[in-house]
Amino acid sequence: MRVEWVLVAAIAASACGSAPKSVEPPRLKAALEVESDGARRYQRGDFVLAERRFEEAARRFAGIDDEAGGLRNRLHLARTRLALGRADAALELLGSLPADSPRDIEALLLKGQALLALGRVAEAGQALAAAEPRCGKDCGQLPSLKILLARTALADGRATAARLHADAALELLANDEHGQETANAWRVLAAARLADLDPPGALAAAKAALAIDRRLALPEKIARDWLLIGDAHRGSLRDKAFGAAVEASRAYQRGLDIANAEGLSEISLTASLALKAIGMQKIPAE
Amino acid sequence: MSLLTQYDADAGAVKRATRRFLIVAALTTLTLVAAIFVRQGLLRQTVNYSFVADSAQDIAKGQAVRIAGFRVGSVSEVSLREDGAVAVGLEVDADQARFVTHDARIELRKEGLVGSPTLEIVPGADKTRLAAAQARLAFSRADGLGALANQVRDEFVPILKDIKAITAALADQQKGLPGTLAQIRASSEALNVLLANGNRQVEGIGGTAVRLLGQAEKNLKHLDQTLEAANQRLPRMLDRTQQVLDHVEKITAEAEVSVPPVLRDGSAVAAEVREIVGGARQTWPISSMVDAPGPATLKPDSDPRGEAGRAR
Repeated sequence: MRVEWVLVAAIAASACGSAPKSVEPPRLKAALEVESDGARRYQRGDFVLAERRFEEAARRFAGIDDEAGGLRNRLHLARTRLALGRADAALELLGSLPADSPRDIEALLLKGQALLALGRVAEAGQALAAAEPRCGKDCGQLPSLKILLARTALADGRATAARLHADAALELLANDEHGQETANAWRVLAAARLADLDPPGALAAAKAALAIDRRLALPEKIARDWLLIGDAHRGSLRDKAFGAAVEASRAYQRGLDIANAEGLSEISLTASLALKAIGMQKIPAE
Repeated sequence: MSLLTQYDADAGAVKRATRRFLIVAALTTLTLVAAIFVRQGLLRQTVNYSFVADSAQDIAKGQAVRIAGFRVGSVSEVSLREDGAVAVGLEVDADQARFVTHDARIELRKEGLVGSPTLEIVPGADKTRLAAAQARLAFSRADGLGALANQVRDEFVPILKDIKAITAALADQQKGLPGTLAQIRASSEALNVLLANGNRQVEGIGGTAVRLLGQAEKNLKHLDQTLEAANQRLPRMLDRTQQVLDHVEKITAEAEVSVPPVLRDGSAVAAEVREIVGGARQTWPISSMVDAPGPATLKPDSDPRGEAGRAR
């Protein structure tokens, strides 16, 4: 009889082979849904709504004493505020995070970004220097760190160092040819080459950034890429005066058109001033 | 003796029955195990592909992979990569791999918006080249109920805020309906008083004039003085009238600003809100059937506004 029971038990066990489905508690599920919605908004470029969602998600996670969820959403929130151009608010938020959090590298990189946006280059350098040893040589955020180091060096007038960091970032991003970070690396490399008096190199890099940003449909970055292309043409004015001026004016005009269409007043102003500066307010037809 | 013979026969029958039962049970177990093996795809030839997604939401190991609605394989692996993206491995039946072109893409769809999520391989336009084994295919998500619900929420929240603003504006003691009515009442009273004063003054002027006309010949100087007094009073009275009118105009303008234009279409808005609330109420129980998403990961972006290349 014992053998029979064992067989019956074996049959029952094989019938129940699938693992039970885990059920999330409703409040945790609600918080995760709000966070997920925020992330979707962020990816769509709808930063205002994304900010509200992340605020709500952070509050919900705090309410259920989920520290990891709260921290994650506050970092999302800081990133969203940076994307909205509110670097001071992002910095304030990052300042309230615990120093030894499990995501301290991410927090330091965001802090570096915020400080760069506020023009506090030396402090940005300090934040990134603190992130470097924690990141090591193979952390996932190393490409971002290199790009930020390049931006800091560029803002500090060290064009050659900026080129080196940007080149290193591109090398690390070799397997991610179409990502945002790759475009960022090309853009900062273009600016560094321009500062290093290499307009043809800058032009090639800016065009590479533009190609990716257009594929990703990121208007603000596309507009700035065009301005950079205009700058690169303008940098080579000495060699082929009229042709370069025409190319520069076309690029600035493209940047201006995109900025006007998207309501990016700061870029519109920059493009208008650049057009005035080269005395090409009327664009010759192609 | 016959008793012993009977016992042996019974014992033999029990033994045979037990053996039969054991054989049937063993065969059933083997059949079940074989069925599980077939179901799990352990006995079939497969081709592996992969794709990278931004999140593991709605993707799970063992999930069905379909082509044109037919199940052709399953998700074999879901793992988190170093950069925070999600790597997903697929196993597709070898004899169905002929539909997976090199430019095929994988779309995450939900059956009837709220059903279980499935991965659909959508073959590309170029049918001449098939995807190699281990090839990485492109991936996209179709909008599901969650996105739809969010869209409804985005439409709904501003309407609710408008309604709240309207209610608050109307209930405001200073600028709302009570304040406006009180001010209009006060203004009306002031106008009445003013008109009564004006009538009295005009009557007074008229009486004085009649009396003065009677004495005109006698005292022209007196008439001049009376008219001069009337001239002095009249502008003040007109000024005050103008002030009251200005006040009324101001109140009207404030009411126009504080009561949003949406009030003009109040009934339409109310109908819309009722519809939305009804719909939300109906779909609410469905939300319990939707799985919770995993923690969100944002793609790294060290220059979200493209400021690195700011034009000089």
